[in-house]
Amino acid sequence: MNKLKVLQAWLWCVSLWPCWLSHAVPLDCKDETGSLAQCASISQEKLLDRVIQHAELIYRVSEESCTLFEDMFVPYPLHALRSQGGNLCHTKPFPIPGSKSEIQQISDKWLLHSVLMLVQSWMEPLIYLQTTLNRYDDAPDALLNKTKWVSDKLLSLEQGVVVLIRKMLDEGILTSSSIFEHTLTPYNEQSPEVLESVLRNYNLLICFKKDAHKMETFLKLLKCRQSNKLSCVSY
Amino acid sequence: SFYSPRGPHFTGCRSREQETFRCWWSAGIFQNLTEPGTLRVFYQTKNALSEWQECPDYTHTVKNECYFNKTFTHIWTSYCIQLRSVRENITYDETCFTVENIVHPDPPIGLNWTLLNVSHSGLHFDILVRWAPPPSADVQMGWMSLMYQVQYRVRNASHWEMLDLESGTQQSIYGLHTDKEYEVRVRCKMSAFNNFGEFSDSILVHVAQIPSKESTFPTTLVLIFGVIGLVILLVLLIFSQQQRLMVIFLPPIPAPKIKGIDPELLKNGKLDQLNSLLSSQDMYKPDFYHEDPWVEFIQLDLDDPAEKNESSDTQHLLGLSRSGSSHVLHFKSDDDSGRASCYDPEIPNPEDLAALLPGHSGRGDNHPLVSRSSSSIPDLGVQQTSEVEETPIQTQPAVPSWVNMDFYAQVSDFTPAGGVVLSPGQLNSSPEKKKEEENEKKIPFQLVSDGAYTSENTARQLSADVPPSPGPEQGYQTFPTQAVEGNLWNGEYLVSTSDSQIPYLLPEAPPVPILPPVSGYTVVQEVDAQHSLLLNPPSSQPAICPHSPNKHLPAMPTMPMGYLTPDLLGNLTP
Repeated sequence: MNKLKVLQAWLWCVSLWPCWLSHAVPLDCKDETGSLAQCASISQEKLLDRVIQHAELIYRVSEESCTLFEDMFVPYPLHALRSQGGNLCHTKPFPIPGSKSEIQQISDKWLLHSVLMLVQSWMEPLIYLQTTLNRYDDAPDALLNKTKWVSDKLLSLEQGVVVLIRKMLDEGILTSSSIFEHTLTPYNEQSPEVLESVLRNYNLLICFKKDAHKMETFLKLLKCRQSNKLSCVSY
Repeated sequence: SFYSPRGPHFTGCRSREQETFRCWWSAGIFQNLTEPGTLRVFYQTKNALSEWQECPDYTHTVKNECYFNKTFTHIWTSYCIQLRSVRENITYDETCFTVENIVHPDPPIGLNWTLLNVSHSGLHFDILVRWAPPPSADVQMGWMSLMYQVQYRVRNASHWEMLDLESGTQQSIYGLHTDKEYEVRVRCKMSAFNNFGEFSDSILVHVAQIPSKESTFPTTLVLIFGVIGLVILLVLLIFSQQQRLMVIFLPPIPAPKIKGIDPELLKNGKLDQLNSLLSSQDMYKPDFYHEDPWVEFIQLDLDDPAEKNESSDTQHLLGLSRSGSSHVLHFKSDDDSGRASCYDPEIPNPEDLAALLPGHSGRGDNHPLVSRSSSSIPDLGVQQTSEVEETPIQTQPAVPSWVNMDFYAQVSDFTPAGGVVLSPGQLNSSPEKKKEEENEKKIPFQLVSDGAYTSENTARQLSADVPPSPGPEQGYQTFPTQAVEGNLWNGEYLVSTSDSQIPYLLPEAPPVPILPPVSGYTVVQEVDAQHSLLLNPPSSQPAICPHSPNKHLPAMPTMPMGYLTPDLLGNLTP
């Protein structure tokens, strides 16, 4: 009887296996090399470089968006909030160490997974940010374009990191973005440009910039380890 | 924040490499708090929401400094520090920050320059400046990504030139002067932050001037003065020759003028005088006759007054078609022309020919060439040049009246019915009396097509029944002196010299050996002193009776290639 049940369960899983795949974002390239957009063969090193480039750009654009938003909407006395690094960023289930020595001790696996989780955790909040910004009366186009651009690039970055994980860690992973928790509660329709809404978005941007910096730092550390094992080890 | 001006307050916090940081404070005006130990710093990391902890390390060598080493420095976390007087349990100042926001990197090291090139004039040069990132910044691991800014100035000047931010470790500086000494320095900051670090030490850049510079100086002066002198000369020239230049560059537009008529008359209100002038023939006739001898041959056909009353000249000239009367090839049968004897007695089917001559009605109604001689001499003069495209019509063999027609037939008369009366090659009458002459053999000539110019296509149609005319070489050609049968044209008048299917009239000499057939239009070869047109005299008088058109061109007398003056006419008379 038990054996029968086990067999049934196993058959269920096997039959449902395509369903699992269908949820996943299809990666067309089945071979070991995979790039972000096309099935061109690319070395792991180059892929890592590209991923780092993405992270750098995202970080830079996030900073520019934050500055734009601050100049446009945030009253001057509250600019000091920025230097405070953002409070109440939506917490993640795992702590990320902040000291260099601790970070240097993080394993490759943990680095990549952290980056992936960061990327995935920011996809929905950025969309939320975009919708609220669109409702602002005088949001500058540059700001809207940048947030839109960042959302797109995050998707690419996610794909790249997934491939890296698969390649470097030999782990298959599902890239469904519905996995992460919804930490941002959807707000009711509030009138935009109320200070509360402004501050919330400001905080969001600051937190995103911080997390983008984390992604970039982790990836660069990973690259350093890949290329030169000696200088990246803590001493 | 760092605002409190009076009491004890933090004066700043800084990190050099994002791994450690320091904070400084000041006792302010409260002198009683300057003793060490009275003011203490407490910090709290917002992440853990831990309790306040005291400064981990009060620097001994520096006063009022709190040092956080690597273990206590966490990035991506928010710190809050407080300045407290423990004794009084008063918090004088509090500030929060993240470590990345207080990072001011150390200055880059190893600044040097190399010469890129020197300009041709020796006045300018370019250099490449290189440096290395500060050793304290862990750029390799990616812990810090730095952006650099290079500044330079002329030594001891007050203003520094700033170049754009550079993420690499080298930058070029262009356009420096060779005789000046420059200072160059560089500083860096973290990308995505705005806190620049200190400047590096300045380096001196100097390139000696190449002594070839002096030669260029007078050259430019000479050039400048030369150009100025040239410009002055040009201006003087223009002003002195103003009138002549005006004529050269802006030639006067000739006013419309009619010979012999004062332009004043053409203005409004003087029509009567103009009409009287125009009507007086004395002014025109002699000149016209000298210049356009063929006009002399235009004769008025007064045989059929009835016909003339049918329509007005204007209608004829405009080619208004009448109700289709006999619009076929219409010809007057002159007995003494003798043409009928040389051709087959077949007479072309009127309907066939009518079909080939669209748009015609009446006899010669539409021929624009036809005109009353007296009143329309100017018109003829005008129209003479427009006849160049007249294509000949190859007549059916049984059209006797056409036989003797040259390619260009002289329009001798115009019938009111619309027919064009052409004179054959013979010229019996003297040119002076052409208008009144009635003995001229006239062959009314109707041209096909509305404009009285037969197009090549219609002409081809006409010749459809007829074998193609002789080869191209015998078609339209340039033959100034050559006698080509039946072709009285100078090749210049012809449009195409290619496969000429265009039939053309096969003029034939009348059996009566009066005169060889003379084409109405011949080519003017030259003009002599008396303003007579010299034409090509006919070279020979071949058989008069032409062959059937089925053969090649029948032997025809050589046709004169020009226009005949009255004088020459007499010579032709055998």
